[in-house]
Amino acid sequence: MDIFTTFDVSASALKAQRIRLNTISSNLANVETTSTPEGGPYKKKSVYFQTKPISFKEELDSSIQGVEVTKILEDSEEPRKIYDPAHPDAGDDGYVAMPNISVLKEMVDMMSATRSYEANTTVIKSAKRMALKALEIGR
Amino acid sequence: MNPLNPFDSNINLLQKVLDLRAKNQSVIATNIANAETPGYASKVFQFEEQLQNAISAKPGTLATTHGRHISTSPDNVSSVTGVIHEVKDKTGLGDENGVSVDMEMIALSENELLYETAAQLLKKKLTLLTYAIQEGK
Repeated sequence: MDIFTTFDVSASALKAQRIRLNTISSNLANVETTSTPEGGPYKKKSVYFQTKPISFKEELDSSIQGVEVTKILEDSEEPRKIYDPAHPDAGDDGYVAMPNISVLKEMVDMMSATRSYEANTTVIKSAKRMALKALEIGR
Repeated sequence: MNPLNPFDSNINLLQKVLDLRAKNQSVIATNIANAETPGYASKVFQFEEQLQNAISAKPGTLATTHGRHISTSPDNVSSVTGVIHEVKDKTGLGDENGVSVDMEMIALSENELLYETAAQLLKKKLTLLTYAIQEGK
């Protein structure tokens, strides 16, 4: 364990939160997307966090762990149906399948991701101040 | 008195405190990084009690006067390692994550302040030593 371990731990969390924010922005951008290359409407994506050992040495001492996004899950909920017969993606019954994304939920998730990111930058700042203080010894 | 350690044994103690506080910082960073990992159990690093026992070593503990002697108790400041406790989520709500970010942020500031205190004390001790070396000039 050295003084930079804390930086590694918090940096892994910053990366994970950034990936989360990217998926949220993808969800918000595609809130009305009715067709995708795979066919069907866009499916809501969400991240899955898992602890991650920082280095081999820390793997033996499992108290210090970072975090990483191990998979991006696709929502399996049924698409929302909207009646619009003039739409090019409308089915025979005149209904269009829309992505099942709640803008409100995405916004709350976005705020949560931002706060987590901020908490981790605070840890990095604190670790930096500590390291600088240690450099002052004997000066 | 050890000629290489002319000042006092508190320098060793402060050095150990800095090490342990740095480790505590990493543990707190781990908790904050995993504040949203499902099933993660919060970790608490404790060393104060061990350190207290080491500096107030009881009379009657066996002295280690040879390099191959085995110490009977953590009466030696440098052998204090601290212990890690896991605190599992007991609320039964949500994703069973035991971290509360606000408590961790408080622990983070406290740990930082105590680290800086130890660093400052160490710095002052070394400044005094320098003063003595330079004949009080």
